[in-house]
Amino acid sequence: MTMQSHPDTFIDSLVDDLKPVTPLRQRAGMTRALLALAIGTFLVVTAFGMRPDLRSGHLDPMFLLPTGLFLVLALATAWATIDMARPFVGTRRDGWAWTALMAAVLPGAALGLIVSEALRGQTLALDRGGIFCLTFGTLIGLLTGGALVFWLRRGAPASPAKAGLYTGVAAGAAGIFAVSLHCPHNDLIHIGIWHGGTVILSGLIGRLTLPRLLAW
Amino acid sequence: MIADEATLSRLAALGQRGDRQAYSAMLTACRSWLLRYFRRKVAPEQIDDLVQETLLSLHRKLASYDPARPVTPWLAAIARYRFVDHLRFAYRAAVEAELDGDVPASDDDQALVARLSLDRLFEALPDAQQRAIELVKIEGFSISEASATTGQSESLVKVNIHRGLRRLAALIERI
Repeated sequence: MTMQSHPDTFIDSLVDDLKPVTPLRQRAGMTRALLALAIGTFLVVTAFGMRPDLRSGHLDPMFLLPTGLFLVLALATAWATIDMARPFVGTRRDGWAWTALMAAVLPGAALGLIVSEALRGQTLALDRGGIFCLTFGTLIGLLTGGALVFWLRRGAPASPAKAGLYTGVAAGAAGIFAVSLHCPHNDLIHIGIWHGGTVILSGLIGRLTLPRLLAW
Repeated sequence: MIADEATLSRLAALGQRGDRQAYSAMLTACRSWLLRYFRRKVAPEQIDDLVQETLLSLHRKLASYDPARPVTPWLAAIARYRFVDHLRFAYRAAVEAELDGDVPASDDDQALVARLSLDRLFEALPDAQQRAIELVKIEGFSISEASATTGQSESLVKVNIHRGLRRLAALIERI
C-alpha cells in the first residue's frame, strides 16, 4: 500500500484487505506463558532430577520462600508483558515492579552479607556450582521468553524497550524457578547471587536484544 | 470523533469479525480523529503520511484491540507510537542532513521541518545542555572544540550531552 494515496482509496484498500482476526485475550497469552513454564520445569526435573528434600517431602523454608518469590515474579511480570500486546493510553503496568522489589531483597541481602563479612576481614566464597543455575536458568527461561515474544509480536507493544525488559525478567524468573526445583542449595548467598543474578541477567538481555524484534 | 465511543467499540468489534461496512465506518471515524491529533503535533505536509501510516498500523494490529475497552485510548496509543517513530526518523534525518552539506534541496526542507520540531523540544532543556548537544551532535564539533566554544570543561560537555539526550528521549516518550 502506498502512502499519500487518496484518503478514501486508501481506506478502501484497507477494507478490501480485511480478514477476520481473533482479539488477543489476556488469558490466552497467560496460558501460553504457563505452558512454557510447565515445559521448562518438566525438562529440568526430567534431565537433572528433583532436589532431595522435595522428593522426600521435607521442605526447607530457604527453598520455599525464594522459589515462591521467583514464581510470583514470573507470573506477575508475564501478566504485565502479555497486557502490553494491547496498547492503551492510560494503563499502568507497574504492579510487577513491587514483586521485583520483593525478589530483589534476596540479592540485596546476599550482597549485604558479603560486604559485612568483608568489613570484618572475612571472605565468603561464591560456590562455582552457581554457574549451573545461572546458565540453565537463563536457557530454560528462553521457553517463557519465546512464548512472550511470540505473543507480543502478534500485538502492538507501545514501548518495545519496556516490553523487552519485562520479557527478560519474566523469562529469567520462570527459568530460575524451574532450576530451583533441582538446585540443592539452601544458603542465601547462592540463592541471592546466582538465582537473583539469573533474573537480572535475563532482564538485561531482554532489554538490550528484544526492542528491535518487538518494534512494529 | 464523529461516532461515540460505544458505537466505535461496536464497529471495531464487528471489524475484527470481518464486517467490511463496519470496518470502513470505523476507519473513517479514526481518520478524522487522527487528523486532529496530528494537526497539533507536526507540520501540515506531514499529516497525511502520518495518518495513513497510523491507519495501516491499526489495520495490521487489529487483533490488539480489546472489544471490552474503548477505541480511542487504543487508537491514541498507536498514534503516539507512530509519532515517536516519526520524531526519531526526523531527528536522524536532521543530524545527517546537517552533517552532510551535499544533500539535495528536498532533504534540506525535511531537515528544516525536523529541526523546527527539535527546536521546540530544545526549549525544555537548560541552556548548557542545549548548547552542548547542538555543537557536538548537530554541528559536528569535537568535545574539545565544544569545550573551548562554550567555556564548559570537556567532562561537563559530555555530562550535558548525556543528560540532555536522556531528557529529550523522556520528553519524546511523553508527548
